[in-house]
Amino acid sequence: MSGYPFYFLVTIGSVIGLAAAALVPFYLLLVAGDFVLNRLGDVDPFSRAAKFVGLMVKNLRRNMLRTSLAYLAIFVLVLVVVGVWSILAFLDLVTAEKSRDLKAIVTERWQIPSQMPYAYAYPLSQGAPEKEGDIVIGPDDSMTWQFYGGYTEREREKQTRDNLVFFFAMEPRKVLTMMDGIEELTPEQLRQLAQAVEIMEKDKTAVVIGADRLATLNKRVGETITVYGLNYRGIDLEMKIIGELPKGRWGQIGIMNRDYLNDAIDAYPARHRGQKHPLADRSLNLVWLRVPDTEAFKKVANQIMSSSAFTNPAVKCETAASGIGSWLDAYRDLIWGMRWLLSPAILVVMSLVVANAIGISVRERRGEMAILKVLGYQPWQIMLLILGEALVIGALSGLLSATLCQVVVNEMIGGVPFGIAFFPSFKIAAAAWWWGLSIGSITALLGSIWPAWTAQRVKVAEVFAKVG
Amino acid sequence: MASEPIVRCIQVSKSFHRGSEEIQVLQSLNLEVPEGQFLALMGPSGSGKTTLLNLIAGLDRPTTGTIQVGPDVVSSMSESELARWRTRHVGFVFQFYHLLSVLTAYENVELPLLLLPLSAARRREQVLTALELVGLTDRMHHRPGQLSGGQQQRVGIARAIVTNPTLIVADEPTGDLDARSAEEILNLLTELQASLNKTIIMVTHDPRAASRAQRILHLEKGQLVEDTGAAMTPGGAAAAS
Repeated sequence: MSGYPFYFLVTIGSVIGLAAAALVPFYLLLVAGDFVLNRLGDVDPFSRAAKFVGLMVKNLRRNMLRTSLAYLAIFVLVLVVVGVWSILAFLDLVTAEKSRDLKAIVTERWQIPSQMPYAYAYPLSQGAPEKEGDIVIGPDDSMTWQFYGGYTEREREKQTRDNLVFFFAMEPRKVLTMMDGIEELTPEQLRQLAQAVEIMEKDKTAVVIGADRLATLNKRVGETITVYGLNYRGIDLEMKIIGELPKGRWGQIGIMNRDYLNDAIDAYPARHRGQKHPLADRSLNLVWLRVPDTEAFKKVANQIMSSSAFTNPAVKCETAASGIGSWLDAYRDLIWGMRWLLSPAILVVMSLVVANAIGISVRERRGEMAILKVLGYQPWQIMLLILGEALVIGALSGLLSATLCQVVVNEMIGGVPFGIAFFPSFKIAAAAWWWGLSIGSITALLGSIWPAWTAQRVKVAEVFAKVG
Repeated sequence: MASEPIVRCIQVSKSFHRGSEEIQVLQSLNLEVPEGQFLALMGPSGSGKTTLLNLIAGLDRPTTGTIQVGPDVVSSMSESELARWRTRHVGFVFQFYHLLSVLTAYENVELPLLLLPLSAARRREQVLTALELVGLTDRMHHRPGQLSGGQQQRVGIARAIVTNPTLIVADEPTGDLDARSAEEILNLLTELQASLNKTIIMVTHDPRAASRAQRILHLEKGQLVEDTGAAMTPGGAAAAS
C-alpha cells in the first residue's frame, strides 16, 4: 500500500499511538497530584483548599475509563488545533510586513511562474542602480533563484512523485546569508552546511538535498544521481549528493550551484543542432534582495521598476511578505477554511465532548452532590468542584498534547508535512504549549458550565426521596 | 426536671405539587423535642416522617408554620444560611450511608470540617475523636468499598458527630443492615445520646429500633396520631419490645 491512504493510516495510527503513550504521563500526574495535595492537606493555610482540589482529582480517578476517553478526545483535538494554528501563525508571520531588515522579491511582472532572462540577474542583484545616489545592494544581500526539477528515473512510465526532486539553483554561499530559516539551524547543522557550501563552490555537480526528500528518493549522502529534467526537458544532470538539509522547512528541497545549470543551458545548442533550450532566455525565476528599512525598499523598488533595462519582460519588486501573500492567494479558500471553519468546529466539538463526559459523571453522582449539600456545601462550591474537575482534565490534556506534539513533530518528524505554496512543512509554534493549555482549559470550562450548573441545582429532598 | 425543648415545630404544614395535584404531606403539626432526647419517628410509607425530618434538619422548608432549633428559626433561613447552619448544628445519618466512595473513612469524616475555619491539626483531632467514638480508628484509611455495611454506617455516624452538632437526624439508620450490625448501630446511637447528651431524631419502620428511643412518635397521613413518651430509660434497655 502506498500514497495517500498509506500516509493517512500512518498519520491516524501515529496520533492514536501518541495519545495512548500520553496516557502514562497523565496517570502519573494525577497520582502525583493526589499525593502532593494529600500532603498539602496537612499544611496550613493551604490545607482546606488542597483537600478540596484533592477531591476533584480523586473524582477524576473514580472512573479512569471515562476520564481517559475524555482526555484522549481533548488530546487529539488539541493536537489538530495546535497543528492548524501553527500553520496559520507561520503564514501570518511570513506575510506580515516588517519595517526593518526586510526582504524584497523581484519577479516577472505579468506572469506566474516568473521567468526572466538570466541577463537580469546581475543588475537586479545590485538593485539596478543607474545614477549617483542610487542604492547599491551588497553582494551578501542578494540571491538569485532558478528552479530545476527532474526525476531520478529516465523512463517516463517510472517517473513518479517519489523520484521527483526539485532544486533551487543559486550561488552556494548565499545559502548561508540569504536563505530563510538559516537562523533555525543548530550550530552543528550550520557547520555542516558551511562545509557543503565550500564543496559546492569547488565542484559544480555537488548538491545538497533535504532529509525527507532523500528518504523518499531512497538515496544517501555520497551517492551520485542523474536527474532527468522536468521543466528543463533535455537537460539531464549528474549530481553528487554531498550533504543533507535538515528535516522540516528544507526537508523536501535541494540546492545546487547555479553555474551547473547555466553551463548546461549554454551547452544545450551544441547537442541540439544549434537550437537554444526553450527556457534559455527565461531561466531566472526570482531575485531576492535584503534592504535595511522600508524607505530603502521603496527606493530600490523604484530603481528597479522605473529602469528601462527591465521592460521585456517587465518586472515587479515587492516585499517578501507581499510576494508570498500573492502566492498564497491560490490557497486563500483553504486557509480561510482552516482558520474560520476547521478550528472553531474542533473547539466546539471539544466542548461537547467535555460536556458529555462531565454531564454523565454529574448524573451518576447526584447522590454525592446531595450529600455535599446536606453537609453544608454551598451551591457555588459544588459548581466549583465540577468546573475544577473539567479544568484539571482539560488543562492537563491540552498541555500534554501541545508539548508532546511540539517535541514529536519538530524534533522527530521535522514539521507538519502539509505543503502549502513552496512551504513543504510547518514547525509547531514555540507558543504551542500555552495554546494547548489555554484551549484545553477554556473548552473544558465552557463544556462543563451546564453540567456544573445542573449539579449545584440538585434538590436534596428530591434525590433522597428517590434513593432512600 | 424536663429539659428545655431544643426543637420546636409550630403549626407546620408541607405540601408538594405533582402536576396540578397538590399533595398534603404534613398538616398543622406541632412538636417539641427536649434537648438530649432520643426520639423515634414511626409510621407507614408516605406518612410524612422523612419530610418532617428533612424540615427539622433544614433540608427543606415548610409550606406554612415555624420550625425552631435552639435559638435559630430554621424555617425562615435562606438556602445559603441553611447550608451554613446545617454544617454547625446538624449531623446526618442515612439508611444507605452515603459515603463518598473515592474518599477513605478518615476523609469522609473530615468532609464537613473542611467548611469550618479549623486548623489542620484541630481537624485531625476531631476526626480521630469521632472515629474513636465509633470504634473505627483501625479502619480509617479504608475506602467505603473495603468496609462492611455496619462499618460504613459507623463512619456515617462519625461524620454526623464530628462537628459536635446540636442535633443528630437519622433516616432509617439500620434499614440496610443485618440484625447484628443494626444492634451495634443502635447501641452506638444510645451511647452517644447518653454520654454526649445529643438530641437524636430517628426515622424508622422497625419497632425494635424504635424501642431503643426514649420517645416514639407515630405519624399517619401527615398528622401526629400517637406520642409514646419514655419508651426506654436513657442509656438503658428497652422498656417495650
